[in-house]
Amino acid sequence: MKQAISNNARTLALFAIGCTALVSGVHWLTKDTIKNQEELQLLKTLHQVIDQNRFNNNLTQDCKFITDSQLLGSNEQQTAYIARLDEQATTVAITSVAPDGYNGKIKLLVALNVDGSLSGVRVINHQETPGLGDKIEIRKSDWIEDFVGKTVSEDNESRWAVKKDGGMFDQFTGATITPRAVVKAVKNTSLFFEKNQDTLLTNSGSCRGNNDGA
Amino acid sequence: MSFWIASSPHNHIQGATPKIMRLVILATLPAIIAQCYFFGWGNLIQIAIAVSVALLSEMVFLAIRDKNIKAQITDGSAILTGLLLGLSVPSMAPWWITVIGSIFAICVVKQLYGGLGFNLFNPAMAAYVLLLVSFPLQMTSWQPANELLTQSLSFLDHLWLVFTGFTGDGYSAEQIRMNIDGITMATPLDTLKTDLTLGLTVFESFEKPVFGDFIGLGWEWVNVGFLLGGLFLIYKKAIDWVIPASFLFGLFFFSFMSYSISPDSSASTLFHWLSGGTMLAAFFILTDPVSAATSRKGRIFFALMAALIVFLIRKFGGYPDAIAFSVLLCNMSVPLIDQYTRPRTYGHQRGE
Amino acid sequence: MTERNEYKELTWQGLWKNNPGLVQLLGLCPLLAVTTTLTNALGLGVATLLVLVCSNATVSLIRHLVPKEVRIPIFVLIIAAFVTCVQLIMNAYTFGLYQSLGIFLPLIVTNCAIIGRAEAYASKNPIKQASFDGFMMGLGFMLVLAALGAIREILGQGTLFDGADLLLGDWASVLRIEVFHFDSKFLLAILPPGAFIAMGFLIAAKNAIDAKLEKKQAKQTETKTIERVRVNFDA
Repeated sequence: MKQAISNNARTLALFAIGCTALVSGVHWLTKDTIKNQEELQLLKTLHQVIDQNRFNNNLTQDCKFITDSQLLGSNEQQTAYIARLDEQATTVAITSVAPDGYNGKIKLLVALNVDGSLSGVRVINHQETPGLGDKIEIRKSDWIEDFVGKTVSEDNESRWAVKKDGGMFDQFTGATITPRAVVKAVKNTSLFFEKNQDTLLTNSGSCRGNNDGA
Repeated sequence: MSFWIASSPHNHIQGATPKIMRLVILATLPAIIAQCYFFGWGNLIQIAIAVSVALLSEMVFLAIRDKNIKAQITDGSAILTGLLLGLSVPSMAPWWITVIGSIFAICVVKQLYGGLGFNLFNPAMAAYVLLLVSFPLQMTSWQPANELLTQSLSFLDHLWLVFTGFTGDGYSAEQIRMNIDGITMATPLDTLKTDLTLGLTVFESFEKPVFGDFIGLGWEWVNVGFLLGGLFLIYKKAIDWVIPASFLFGLFFFSFMSYSISPDSSASTLFHWLSGGTMLAAFFILTDPVSAATSRKGRIFFALMAALIVFLIRKFGGYPDAIAFSVLLCNMSVPLIDQYTRPRTYGHQRGE
Repeated sequence: MTERNEYKELTWQGLWKNNPGLVQLLGLCPLLAVTTTLTNALGLGVATLLVLVCSNATVSLIRHLVPKEVRIPIFVLIIAAFVTCVQLIMNAYTFGLYQSLGIFLPLIVTNCAIIGRAEAYASKNPIKQASFDGFMMGLGFMLVLAALGAIREILGQGTLFDGADLLLGDWASVLRIEVFHFDSKFLLAILPPGAFIAMGFLIAAKNAIDAKLEKKQAKQTETKTIERVRVNFDA
């Protein structure tokens, strides 16, 4: 009996070791490709919101973690990517969250030029109703391009709303809540940038290095 | 799946179905008239499309199934399904919406389950949900009452609108729905929901013209129309009074509770009773003998549950109205309700 | 049974008679969740196929080494290892698809079709037949996925092979076919309830074809029997 148990245990252990070896082998082989792919993906999105002529640094490396539950819409850590042209900061891309979407959180990437004007906005992730609220995606409609070039200032703060609320942005037919949430989040992110501009741009740090430095 | 637990009496009157169906169809008249008076000809066109497509699909499907077409067509159940669907879709919805809905209601929801008497779900409501989920844009474009329109619409305008999307003068449905401020108008339920999320109180929201002097301009009278028709049906003993009574009581109970807890963010009972499809559901949908519970206790539970779901979705859910969803959810639980509310056979002890 | 016949039988079983999607109704969760487009469906189909072939081959290879008592944990280990490998590879080489398949890629582990084949066939048969069985079962599953994906994509957005570049690389974006164009999508087809309804229709179609075949066969045998009876009479 005892013999059988220990035999079985041994076989099981051997197979466990074998399978783990196989998985770690594949992991080792694909590790670099996966990392490259992830960075490429991030870069692709960043390139959409930041003009390529406006930076020559390594965007994905020049970034820092920020948190602001009020203006960035979430208690979670957000990331700011800083674009520099010859060491001079030009644009900052900040991930932020619109917490009051129709079906939960909408994750955004908001890029702001140093003068406070918007360089571009993209929706990274959302669960809005297909056919109604999903027009915030660039694949479905170019509504999100409306933000480009606009600036939040004290005189126009009240105009940062959808038309139904007396603002300057279109809502979609049948869906007001989604664009309202996005407009509010973009506005808040701009305010956050205005408030924290100095700390954001001066001390440069890397948010990537820490993870795989060891 | 033909397990049915019918309550007594078990005798069947031949020819009862066509008679009841005729009565029910007749009873929708006041509401149809009210709809035409306040919202124009659109709904009549929708009803015409829905009924003819429903009849046609029923005939085609019965032919495929080798059934007696004449006997089943004349029982009026397909006409009633088409009628209810035509009443529920927005009057300005494009024609293909109604066509898809009618075909789905008859072919999938009714015939694939085995035809009249075997369908688990109310065909008109299942089709309505299909349309609402698939085409949210068209299915929420309700037309505001005639009084609020910036241009008046003739019968031909409605016809053009349904079939081409534009009126004779070239206005699109979207433009028709704009009010003078250029803002698209929604139904009272929808407006209230949006306003509440904006932080307005119910009283402030009620100042808007959509609500009229009373509950909702036009909507209140359509619901009164359904109420009248329903009372007529109860008088004729075509439907069981237990279901509408428990449903309306349930809605009263839940809305009253919520109103007493936070009057600023909850609408009154009367608003719940007289807006959206409340009365239509209470007297014409929930009372459908095929998809409702069978015993009296079961029916009370069934209707109360429907009221609870309607109230919860209207108050907390993503959709402004919830009649169709709630009816489907309750239809689904009917076999279970019937299982537990089976009337005790005479002479048997409880709990044996 | 000759070996040739056995392969024929395996093909018939995997693709039609015992199809994991349509008849065994295994792995419905990924089946219904990812078939919103043909590309997604093919991606998951290929992944499942790969895992099935590898796991069947391995299980068959080690079938004499494994004690009966611990065979299930070992099978699970092997399947999980292969799934993880496929997942890593897809993450590396088809990143976009990996993201759109999301949680359903690792969930292949829980696809009962795989452990079912390992236990029911691969653990009792030589490696060649076992791999072939895995291939056919995987192919059957993939075909159902593809059919469902195609139906839902055409109905839902009027296209075919939308996003094929995620699976096959950038050149494949030319594969995208716009079957027809309409302004409002038929959302139900893309949403989960549409998947259930479409799946129901697929199964119904399969049953209808089977019933028709059976009827035909019955008729043939019937005519034969009658003939023999008549011959007997005459004699």
